[in-house]
Amino acid sequence: MRATVAQLAQLPGVWRGGELEHAAKPVVATGYDALDRELPGGGWPTGTLTEVLHDAVGIGEVSFLAGALARACVDDRLIAWIDPPHLPYAPALAHSGIALERCLVVRPAHREDSLWAAEQALRSGACGAVLFWLAHDEYAWLRRLQMAAEAGRAMAVLFRSTAAERLSTPAHLRVALAREEGALQIRIPKRRGPPLAAPITLSIGRSSAPGSPAIFAPAHPVLVAVA
Amino acid sequence: MLWVALELPALPLQIAERAGASRDPLVISEGPEQRPVVVCANEAAVAAGVREGQAVAAAKALAGDLRVLPRNPEAERQALERLAAWAAQFTPMSCVDGQGIVLEVESSLKLFAGHAKLSSAIRRGIHELGFHAAIGIAPTPLAARLFARAEARGLQVRSCLELAGLRERVVDLPLFLLDWPAETLAHLTDLGVLRLRDMLELPTEGVARRFGPAIAVCLGRLMGTLADPRVPYAPPPRFRSRLELPAEADGVEALLFPLRRMLVEMEGTLRGRGAGVQQLVLWLEHGRKLRTRVDLEFASPEREADFILSIAREKLGRITLSAATIALDLRADALLTYAPRESTWLPGAREQAIGRERLIERLAARLGRERVFGIAIGDDHRPDRNWKTVSGTISREIVPDTVFAERPTWLLNRPQRLITRGDTPSVQGDLSFIAGPERIESGWWDGAEVRRDYYMAANPRGETFWIFREHRGDQGWYLHGVFA
Repeated sequence: MRATVAQLAQLPGVWRGGELEHAAKPVVATGYDALDRELPGGGWPTGTLTEVLHDAVGIGEVSFLAGALARACVDDRLIAWIDPPHLPYAPALAHSGIALERCLVVRPAHREDSLWAAEQALRSGACGAVLFWLAHDEYAWLRRLQMAAEAGRAMAVLFRSTAAERLSTPAHLRVALAREEGALQIRIPKRRGPPLAAPITLSIGRSSAPGSPAIFAPAHPVLVAVA
Repeated sequence: MLWVALELPALPLQIAERAGASRDPLVISEGPEQRPVVVCANEAAVAAGVREGQAVAAAKALAGDLRVLPRNPEAERQALERLAAWAAQFTPMSCVDGQGIVLEVESSLKLFAGHAKLSSAIRRGIHELGFHAAIGIAPTPLAARLFARAEARGLQVRSCLELAGLRERVVDLPLFLLDWPAETLAHLTDLGVLRLRDMLELPTEGVARRFGPAIAVCLGRLMGTLADPRVPYAPPPRFRSRLELPAEADGVEALLFPLRRMLVEMEGTLRGRGAGVQQLVLWLEHGRKLRTRVDLEFASPEREADFILSIAREKLGRITLSAATIALDLRADALLTYAPRESTWLPGAREQAIGRERLIERLAARLGRERVFGIAIGDDHRPDRNWKTVSGTISREIVPDTVFAERPTWLLNRPQRLITRGDTPSVQGDLSFIAGPERIESGWWDGAEVRRDYYMAANPRGETFWIFREHRGDQGWYLHGVFA
């Protein structure tokens, strides 16, 4: 039986060079059109690992996922935060539209436990999104997590430092974040598709002009410095 | 009426070997201390030539490494009662009878799609418990027991569903299968009455006069001409089960197999009562009064053996045992109403909630309850207090409708003092203010008064932090959050 190239391209995991993969599993829209256009399927993948690489902290590395997280927990699924570097702050999450009652924070005592917890959360199918920070980089462990992610259908995001960019990964998608001139710059070092030519720039979050007036109107008395 | 009788041959041996068969010869002894005799012998003992009825001394001469356990009628009675409680999942009418149990199943046939499916479900269940039983099905309890005994002795008996066909099924069975006194049986043998056929042909009045009314009543009940009312076994409102291991178990893995048998037994018992358990205590007995307690707790009443086993596995994996385990003791003192879970073909919201609770249970079992939590907004305006943790299971909380200024994704456990250059705070570079100040103060009512000016500030690398200036005490700058 001869298959045409067009038929082959219909197979899962097969795509033309120069085109993005047609994601077989549902994706979660990122909330940013510029980013959606560059991701296979048009959003964060589910059922596979996604790596977010960043060195600086506090550049919006978690909040740029907020829109997707809010969407990922539809149909009552959980958002598991496994071993985050600090405590996720409830008012901030609520403010960005994430349902607090769906958030589950897991703070394991040591790294074997955090790997195990991540694996359980990914496999269970009860999680819409699993975010994890692991203090180890062994390929074998990531491979295990990738298997677990494939078994479940969660949006699985692993946060690592950009030093990991040199290492190979079982994840299908890898994005690297940096903050340049007040905007978040996103490179995509790995995706199922052609290499990304120029980084995507998202101007999200706060204005960076120093001394600009506060951009909020709190309910309780607040002193606002007027420029 | 349709009765199912379960006969457990060599029950004392089955109890002794329930947690796993031993490879060494083992016999159960009974009788006076001076001259105990063998009542049952396991395969290894039989292979060595040990027979039932032999003196234990003779058996010891045949098998050098023979292990002898005295018969424990109390343990047998308890085992049968627990079996009756377990069988309550099939029918409300289950009771202990002889060396087994009888169940009235007429009303359960529809639920289990016929007697063949029901009896194979019972057989499978008994096997999971670690027992083996012969099963007899007949319209009267005595006939069902007769059939079960016949099967246990290797006789071919087909089950009988109608009273009309009972006579022809029983006539060929030998009389010794009935629980009659030995002298009565001997007397009948002398008369040439060996099978039920011969017995049933004798006139009833004559039988009653010669062998006593009990025998005549028994025949009447057997054939269904006399009523045979039974009282269903009413189990106590708690679950207890103890299982001795065939050999000392060093690891935890070796405990899981016998534990599963106990959990299956508990599941059946709970099913029969429509109950579940929320708290379980498992004692691992090490001998010499040493024991280890393992607590199993669930968010909602549970009864599925495999789920509870998975939780127990995580719990047991965490503990190091000081000594080898010789017995398991499982106790549940409060049986709670169990809300059955609807299962659907398509995974829906309900399915998710179950998976969610199970996931939380599983994580908490291994990591500890304090390490798995949900978060909610607290009833306070001070940043340290306007969040709180909520325990494992997540209830839908009412989120206070408060408009907050932009808040950081991460909150530090405790504010961290910043270095300052001149009056400019710095975190890996001088910070420049993006927004603020936002004055947060007061809290005199609980002694944790604050007076702080919060700012959003970024360093040259673009890292944005939530910092505040303390107006009480040292007037210093502190880092309190990260806009991750």
